[in-house]
Amino acid sequence: MTEASAERQLRLILQDFDEERRNLQRFQKATLNLLEDMQEDRSRLDQTQRALMNILEDVEVERGRAEQANALLEAVNRELEAFSYSVSHDLRAPLRAISGFAEAVVEDCAPRLDDEGKRYLALIRENAHKMGQLIDDLLTFSRVGRQQKVETQIDMAALAGSVFEELAPQAAGRRIEFVVRPVPPARGDRAMVRQVLMNLLANAIKFTRARQQGRIAFGYLAELAGGAYYVQDNGVGFDMQYADKLFGVFQRLHPLSEYEGTGVGLALVHRIVTRHGGRVWAEGREGLGATFYFTLPEGDNP
Amino acid sequence: MSHEVEIVLVEDDPNDAELITRVFRKHNLANALVHVKDGAEALDFFFAQGRYADPPSRGIPKVVLLDLRLPKVSGIDVLRRLKSEEATKTIPVVVLTSSREERDLMDAYELGVNSFVTKPIRFEEFAKVVSELGLYWLMVNRPCDS
Repeated sequence: MTEASAERQLRLILQDFDEERRNLQRFQKATLNLLEDMQEDRSRLDQTQRALMNILEDVEVERGRAEQANALLEAVNRELEAFSYSVSHDLRAPLRAISGFAEAVVEDCAPRLDDEGKRYLALIRENAHKMGQLIDDLLTFSRVGRQQKVETQIDMAALAGSVFEELAPQAAGRRIEFVVRPVPPARGDRAMVRQVLMNLLANAIKFTRARQQGRIAFGYLAELAGGAYYVQDNGVGFDMQYADKLFGVFQRLHPLSEYEGTGVGLALVHRIVTRHGGRVWAEGREGLGATFYFTLPEGDNP
Repeated sequence: MSHEVEIVLVEDDPNDAELITRVFRKHNLANALVHVKDGAEALDFFFAQGRYADPPSRGIPKVVLLDLRLPKVSGIDVLRRLKSEEATKTIPVVVLTSSREERDLMDAYELGVNSFVTKPIRFEEFAKVVSELGLYWLMVNRPCDS
């Protein structure tokens, strides 16, 4: 072997080496890329996992909040219960004492009292009684808001009849004609719907007081608002511009001196009908009577 | 000892107690009335404990008028105790309360109350109810003698 050929040989070998090295480098780079990709994928996975964890945490927090809100609601309900219990018990007792001792003065000290003194005492008793009525009405009002509704089929005609009978003492000595027209059954809480009819019919009896012949009708109009019951009377009526005030608590359209009442009755009617998903409204003209309409879920026709 | 206890009034409100006693007095029914002021005193009275530990023979009252909301031991708890003990379960108990809560009504009847009366606010009605109660349980009702 000549020196020259040996040198060529060596260069060739070196070239091969070089190529190998380059190959190796390429391979290394590819591996590094792959590793990088993997790294990236893993970090993406990590991100996804973290995101998922976050969502889970959020859900947990939301659930905790919901539970808290629930507990709060229950506590508030219990408190309300206790409050109305106190109202019914504790506000009543002093009223009875006021009324009772005023009576005791009248009975035991009558000879020492002049007429004016007796009149004042009568006023004290009368007002104690009014406040008692007010407490009763408000309690009923608050109770209707929280009471469980028990839905049954209600024979509205029969219910109206029995309610009117129960109210008869309020109409004693008066000429009142009460008509029940054909009405379909409804679906709802019997005790609550009874209260609706009670309040509407009691109002009708009250506000026809000035009539020689009172006329009260209970009926149903299928073509009105998809079917509405009504209580109609020929009493003193009301001015339609105050129609929206009729159903507010403590709203009264007639002076107390003419027509007694606490202003809770129609608010109660509104609350019950609304709780049944129904609507209540009224039409009237001063001096010409009033009609109160309400809707209730339909009952099954027999 | 001519006057045995006929009426036990369990009432913490001094006004109510005075008004009730006054009505009974007017009907000559107040001589045999004992007034206890809370549930614990009521139990002491019926089971001869505390200040009633050494009682003269008092006989069995013809009626207990029981208020519900009482200090210390509630009226419902007094009722439960009275109706569960052999010695007292036949004594007629009339709940006389300001409460109009359904819950009280149900609890009382479940425990075997003999009558449940809501105190009317208007005094005329209250007086009428109280005197009717007194007359009925003392004059009309026949107690369990045994």
